[in-house]
Amino acid sequence: MQHQIEFGPSSAWLKVQLAPNETIQAEAGAMVRHTSGLQIDTRLNAGRKAGLGAKLKAFFAAIARKFLGGETMFVNDFHGPQGGELVLAPGTSGQIMHQLLDGQRKLFIQASAYLASTGDVDTKLRFGGLKSMFGGEGLVLQECTGQGDVWINSYGGITEVPINGSFVVDTGHIVAFEGNNLNFKLRSAGSSGGFSLKSFLFSGEGLVCEFTGTGRVWIQSRNLNALVSWISPFLR
Amino acid sequence: MEFHVLYRPSHSLAVCNLNPNETVRAEAGAMVSMTRNINVVAAAKNPADGGGLKRLFKGLKRMALGGESFFTNTYTAMNQPGHVSFAPSLTGDMIVHQVQPGEQLLIQGSSYVAAPDSVTIDTKFQGFKGLFSGETLFFLSATGQGPVLMNAFGAIETIDLDGEMVVDTGHIVAFTAGIKYSVVKASKGWISSYLSGEGLVLRLQGRGRMYVQSRNPSEFGATVGRMLPPREN
Amino acid sequence: MQHQLIDTPDFGMLQITFDQTGEKIVSESGAMVAMDTAINMQTSMRGGLLAAAKRKLLGGESLFQNTFTATSPGQRLFLSPGPEGDLRAMNLEAGQNFFLQSGAYVAHVGEQLVLDTKFGGVKGFFGGVGLFMIKVTGPGTVYYSAYGALHEIDVPPEGYTVDNAHLVGFTEGLTYNVRKFGGFKGLFFSGEGLVCDFQGQGRVFLQTRNAGSLAAFLQPYRTVKAKG
Repeated sequence: MQHQIEFGPSSAWLKVQLAPNETIQAEAGAMVRHTSGLQIDTRLNAGRKAGLGAKLKAFFAAIARKFLGGETMFVNDFHGPQGGELVLAPGTSGQIMHQLLDGQRKLFIQASAYLASTGDVDTKLRFGGLKSMFGGEGLVLQECTGQGDVWINSYGGITEVPINGSFVVDTGHIVAFEGNNLNFKLRSAGSSGGFSLKSFLFSGEGLVCEFTGTGRVWIQSRNLNALVSWISPFLR
Repeated sequence: MEFHVLYRPSHSLAVCNLNPNETVRAEAGAMVSMTRNINVVAAAKNPADGGGLKRLFKGLKRMALGGESFFTNTYTAMNQPGHVSFAPSLTGDMIVHQVQPGEQLLIQGSSYVAAPDSVTIDTKFQGFKGLFSGETLFFLSATGQGPVLMNAFGAIETIDLDGEMVVDTGHIVAFTAGIKYSVVKASKGWISSYLSGEGLVLRLQGRGRMYVQSRNPSEFGATVGRMLPPREN
Repeated sequence: MQHQLIDTPDFGMLQITFDQTGEKIVSESGAMVAMDTAINMQTSMRGGLLAAAKRKLLGGESLFQNTFTATSPGQRLFLSPGPEGDLRAMNLEAGQNFFLQSGAYVAHVGEQLVLDTKFGGVKGFFGGVGLFMIKVTGPGTVYYSAYGALHEIDVPPEGYTVDNAHLVGFTEGLTYNVRKFGGFKGLFFSGEGLVCDFQGQGRVFLQTRNAGSLAAFLQPYRTVKAKG
């Protein structure tokens, strides 16, 4: 499958050329345009070969995702007997990046960062913390494994940071990270040198995710929660 | 009169250079800066609607249907050359389409920014109010001769169509009238069209030029809107 | 200390790499994106409680600022503003002034740099939400952001007019007058019908998007408060 990412970093979209009967799975609502002759099959976000038990599990996971991850419950499969061109885009301004999963790699992505995938890529929902306690700043992740392509979208530009040791990222700025050799835990931003109540309450930094080990983390240069705080004084 | 678009594609700014005593019409609220010799007149638009109450009524109708602003400002460079710069509300590109005599350009309501008097912007209703929330589509028609400045949410792709293309209703910016459109379901059935998140789409057929934007304003509005504090009414 | 500006002008982000232990940068609260762990973050009200409260009331800016201090060499820190758009650095000599719209302030380096909210008395107040100018006096470096791209205009001899909501900052040597703009605009976009006429020799920095228009766009998408 040929693919191009155009108009990054702020207005990126994904353009794919589908060969006859080739399929791409995309987040519901992501379609911008397609040539005639492509068809859409909508299904619950579970594996293609999933049995009834797995489907039920996926259904509840999808409902959880809908409420916690801000993400839709359904995915669309695009395909056509003659193939064709398809363009996909996320809802906010930002960049798109491509990752290839080889069966060994484990990739964690922010739940709302999933745009599309091919092949046998499996996504599982993971919770990073007690979201409700921290005003929506918790971490809901999707663990991606299997074999195939994954396309991930961000709000803001994407910067790749290699980690060898420890590194902290504001939870709202995480796009994805490699899960094979990185451990992560949530804590408040000012607590590295002992807990500071003042920093916890007033630093404006909320929760951060601390990574230890080796691997890459991809951070986004903007954060929807920060946009909301910035625009709020201008609302009537 | 010329438009120069800077800072493309994401944070575009259009600088409109005017010769002495030349005029440009633009959506109210789009002005960023201007030289000191620019005379500004605000008016309910547009002259082609007729006078007084009739114009007011048409303006209100457009506002209700198209998300378009009610007023037009007229900028005139008095005696000397001058410039006015314009920007849209959202992150994204702006593009200039040169309207040729005999051609008609259909512009999605909130994509129109500015044009000189030689271009007539007709506001007769063409479009639909969708079954799915947030899906409304309203086209303005541009005829005459001269440049029309349009904005997009995201980047703009220019396509010279000869055949058929399916485009999400939230991603269309404009197309020439040689292209016919029909509003169809994204998927085979009503339920699957709804669940697919795509709802209704445009099936565009024919020959002509079309402009597509890389982001959908209502999708962004819905995403951020639900994170904002509730409004009073 | 080294700095690098990433993804400008679309989504400017500041990467600081500290060379030595003890180096520090002060930022607006909430600007931290990511950092190495041998960095100490301290939250304070800069300029004491009264000055901070005044900034909050008049400038729409946060009461609190964070000071990041390296406790080991080679540490990385990433900072970014709230809105989408450009991020730039302005290096100021000792005594050199730069006037900045308060919401555009992101961070600064230099313990002698002064951020003054009191300058110009009533004239310092621009009207409209978040449009309070601060006077930044060197020596030091101030990092500032724009909503959209930054557009620079060298004010011509006959003067230049700018929509208030698009103003980011201006250099010394300019005077300005604020006035109402064009008829209906003020009526329908409350508090936003103001423009600023600049006169003199200097440079004006504009942003190509404005917060009021985004707020107006988002209005219909907000939920409605339940009655009673």
